[in-house]
Amino acid sequence: MNSPRAIVGQNVRKVEGVKLVTGGPAFTDDIDIPGLLYGKILPSPYAHARIKRIDTRKAKALPGVHAVLTYKDVPRVPHTTAGQAWPEPSPYDTYLLDNKVRFVGDRVAAVAAESRAIAEKALRLIEVEYDVLPAVLDMEQAMAPGAAVIHDEPDSKGIYDASRNIAGYILRGIGNVDEGFRQSDRVFDREYRTQRQQHCALEPHITICWLDGDGRLVIRTSTQVPYHSRRQVAMILQIPVSRIRVIKPRMGGGFGGKQEMLLEDICGALTLAARRPVKIEYTREEEFYMARTRHPQILRMKMGVKRDGTILASQLTVVATTGAYGSHSTTVQGNTGSKVLPLYRAEHMRFECHVVYTNTPVAGAFRGYGCPQGFFAQETLVDEIANELGIDPVEFHRQNAIRLGDIDRLSAQLGEGKEGLPRVVRSCSLPECMDRAAAAIGWSSKRKALPSAGHLKRGVGMACTMQGSGIAGIDWASAFLKMNEDGSFFLQVGAADVGGGADTVLSQIAAETLGVSLDKIVITSGDTDTTPFDVGAYASSTTIISGGAVKKAAEKVREQVLRMAAKMLETTAENLTCGDNRVTGVGKSATMTEIALHAMYKQKTQIMDGASHFNTDSPPPFCATFAEVEVDTQTGKVRVVHMATAVDPGIAINPAQAEGQVEGAVAQGLGYALTEELVLDGEGRPVNPNFLDYKIFGAKDMPKLTTILVETDEPLGPFGAKSISEVPINGPAPAIANAIFHAVGVRFRRLPIRPEDVLRGLREKGDLGG
Amino acid sequence: MKTMEVRLNVNGEAKQWTIAPGDLLLDVLRREGYFGVKRGCEAGECGACTVLLDGKPINSCLMFAAQAEGADVLTIEGVAHGDTLDALQEAFLDHGAVQCGFCTPAMILNAKALLDRKPHPSEEEVREALAGTLCRCTGYRKPVEAVLAAARESAR
Amino acid sequence: MFDTVEAFYRPGSVREALRLLQDGKNRARVVAGGTDLVVEADRSIRFLIDITHAGLSYIRRKDKACVIGATTTMAAIENSPAIRALAGGILARAAATCGSVQIRNMATLGGNLANGSPAADTASVLLALDAEVVLADAHGRRKIPLNEFYSGLRKTKALIVEVAIPAPPRGGRWSFQKLGRTENDISLVNAVAGLQLDSKGRVKWARIALGAVAPTPVRAVHAEKLLVGRQVDESALAEVCDEAAREARPITDVRASAGYRREMCRVLVRRALEECAAGTGCSL
Repeated sequence: MNSPRAIVGQNVRKVEGVKLVTGGPAFTDDIDIPGLLYGKILPSPYAHARIKRIDTRKAKALPGVHAVLTYKDVPRVPHTTAGQAWPEPSPYDTYLLDNKVRFVGDRVAAVAAESRAIAEKALRLIEVEYDVLPAVLDMEQAMAPGAAVIHDEPDSKGIYDASRNIAGYILRGIGNVDEGFRQSDRVFDREYRTQRQQHCALEPHITICWLDGDGRLVIRTSTQVPYHSRRQVAMILQIPVSRIRVIKPRMGGGFGGKQEMLLEDICGALTLAARRPVKIEYTREEEFYMARTRHPQILRMKMGVKRDGTILASQLTVVATTGAYGSHSTTVQGNTGSKVLPLYRAEHMRFECHVVYTNTPVAGAFRGYGCPQGFFAQETLVDEIANELGIDPVEFHRQNAIRLGDIDRLSAQLGEGKEGLPRVVRSCSLPECMDRAAAAIGWSSKRKALPSAGHLKRGVGMACTMQGSGIAGIDWASAFLKMNEDGSFFLQVGAADVGGGADTVLSQIAAETLGVSLDKIVITSGDTDTTPFDVGAYASSTTIISGGAVKKAAEKVREQVLRMAAKMLETTAENLTCGDNRVTGVGKSATMTEIALHAMYKQKTQIMDGASHFNTDSPPPFCATFAEVEVDTQTGKVRVVHMATAVDPGIAINPAQAEGQVEGAVAQGLGYALTEELVLDGEGRPVNPNFLDYKIFGAKDMPKLTTILVETDEPLGPFGAKSISEVPINGPAPAIANAIFHAVGVRFRRLPIRPEDVLRGLREKGDLGG
Repeated sequence: MKTMEVRLNVNGEAKQWTIAPGDLLLDVLRREGYFGVKRGCEAGECGACTVLLDGKPINSCLMFAAQAEGADVLTIEGVAHGDTLDALQEAFLDHGAVQCGFCTPAMILNAKALLDRKPHPSEEEVREALAGTLCRCTGYRKPVEAVLAAARESAR
Repeated sequence: MFDTVEAFYRPGSVREALRLLQDGKNRARVVAGGTDLVVEADRSIRFLIDITHAGLSYIRRKDKACVIGATTTMAAIENSPAIRALAGGILARAAATCGSVQIRNMATLGGNLANGSPAADTASVLLALDAEVVLADAHGRRKIPLNEFYSGLRKTKALIVEVAIPAPPRGGRWSFQKLGRTENDISLVNAVAGLQLDSKGRVKWARIALGAVAPTPVRAVHAEKLLVGRQVDESALAEVCDEAAREARPITDVRASAGYRREMCRVLVRRALEECAAGTGCSL
């Protein structure tokens, strides 16, 4: 680590914090637009059907209705809604509006009207005759012969095998797993199932569009991917990219659900049709089943080990469903293999995955991006193996886990749909993470003997996980800085702060590099007109990639500042340093303000510069998650007593924000483990699209949280940073499942682990009651 | 469309608004520019729409605007004392308790209602006060710490 | 969406409220806290009648009996010294679990009953306490036992104006148990128990009520009878809890299966009875 830093590594207040705590107009909906119309989508009541006839005349005739759109009114352009770099690796299987519906909630039509009430009434006036088709709801049935074909349209592209409902197929490996299993003393083979989880960002999806004075389409939207959305809307509505502006205000959470071009296209289409501003805002109910979810998976994991616990071979076979459309279908599942298996130093690995279509809500990106599923399987299996071999799980991890200096060759096989690049571990404190989290939970003593009172049984369990920091060779960002008279700098970044503190962290990086105080950086982000390109907020890329661009841009600008100061102070730039809002040499200095004024009015030059950045590797953050649970063997309820999470994020640019990210990820992981599931009925209709029956953790449900940052210095990251916001969501489910096993000796391989499941497990084991 | 008048105090200011009888308080408040009152679920489950009505936290998405006749309503916009932030607002900023900020107004209002009647709450009481405000970003830990810190600060 | 509502009234008296209800026929609905009505979003409503200013928010003790006005909020009930002193405070406990603090500041006792949800936490407590409901209509007021109210639910056009709780039998110990998926949740199952032990530790009388396991809250009368005269020991508990579970008619829904609910009846009734017998439930 380098010399002490003024701002990087400090718990500075969020740059937009005052606005947020005073309720200032910050979010997409916090705006008054004259003439704003209310847009609404007519959702399909059927999981699979053709639109035989659709008549919008009555809807159009309703006073206050300004536009009604069906598939007949809009261009038919196959595309993906996935917020990914072009050319997107997801199938182009989606249409703005179609004459076929493929899940309950799929778009049938859209209206724009003068009020919400009129829009809702207009939807009711649209007459639709459906030709109901057999629905494919079960992912294991989707590939079976005779299953209805969901994407039978000829113009979709990039689908692996539409006739068998296979959106994507992945097969990768290193070494020879069959040989590895042959050499193993023990082979373990288990099946796991994970559920449909929903992001539940408190701010639902919302988009407002209007035509500005030049007839350009302005899209004000809650999005993680302003630039991808702009490109995709241009393609879908067939207007040039330069005629579209996407503005991302503050976001009320995203978690991957907004790494999607979800409402921008339809809202834009309504705006063009109505020639008035249009707002579409999802209700909470629509948010649950008409937005995106996590991919449910069936995972078959097989590991071969030597008697001493060394893992020789690991094989993961997955069937996943992407729902009705293939957004993020191969990339999420690719991660399930590429980020999970290489946690261990097995010589032989094999990953095979079928991603199938079903007539269910569409799956997409969700924090962890395939890793929560994979690590649930792997870390639960590893716990089982360790227990079977009589090895402490922590020791088992120490023995087998990837180390500093290792090369992960499986990643070379799996990129964002392309050949990836091998990963080198250049920073890793996983062993210390394990030590410290284990100590926090009281592992050694509690592993041997835990106090259990009657029907309440306690146990401890753990899991190790990793993620990535940006997508190697694909994620890229740019930043631009210009200097103002008062020694401040405007920082313009395409990065999209989802609420996790990106704007603050990027400002800190700029301030540190330029040697100015934080208040001298004014940041604008996520506006395609005024900020340079950024892929957006996903893949844990913002700090490392966008931050990398900011650092580069700031270094270039600092160079200009130093040379300007050198002229002023009659010396050379090499003799000068930046710090404390001034440039200082031996016995002389100039303030940033003086330098700015000199540059602008004496030299007649604007100090400004920009830079782009990408990495050719994706340094993994590491995480050790330890859980203590108390199982009520009469009710089956699992109370999580304590979660200790130790993370290696590289250097934490803002430790308090980083800790907050860990704790929020853990809360989502707890729900994933114990309470959250979007349930569908036999017709594919959502049963619990509301907070009453889709239970996320509240303030009284949370266990004691211990959050530990074990910093390392990552050469590829600005000031040594990697990332932190996804990895902690991967550990809670397996750590809790393992702790339950320790408590009551029942192994759970299916999420969520509900009280009924625990009771059933106890009964089957013959172990009910106190 | 039928309309009616409603008279109430919002953040200490007397207001008279023309509303439809079926208008919900959340919708009217946002229409009148109180953007700090959030729409999260419209079913009283997430608490993002919380305002204080005569000092008590309620879900404005479940109340008809007409029911606020004669009431004192406090939104987040009225929590600061002029240009000076309230101890709770400062504490939320200092303790890293604000991530996306969408639920922050509701958390602060619920905490304020608690501290106004119970200046030295236990952690359990703070969690109870925040239990009706869902947060998907923070895991609740730092917001709880911020409220306890603000309580200690105000006690001095 | 209540865009079809034509008028909003806030009557100052029950008489006025009844007149408005009569005039509005089927299109008028009474609203108090709104926590059920607004969520239901019934588009047929044309007239809203806010009864929160009709003089129905009160809690009065008459000797050891209590009357509670229909628009008294759950928060008021939860915090009322009179209710906390009544039957070991079980009604206050139940009110305290009726949703978040925001909901409890709005939701009313009358609304909790009028909504008719079998999971209403206050309803099972009131049933265990032999509460009566006072209804008012054009013909005047009448008082009916709570279970009669439930069997006639939704058929009546009368207004709930008051809940009357008779003085609980002296020396009783009471317990309220609720099971949810998370800390803030609707009841999957709730159970209420009250009993009194004689000098030899035998049960003089017992009351057991169950919520969320039948179309209405249920008094497990057979289970109650089984317990009278016995010690609260392992075999009595087993028998009584089995019987209570038999008196439940739970359904399977997304929250829980019928089998699980029935099993939880057994568990919660046991816990409630144990709490009473151990004196860890408060006594009167």
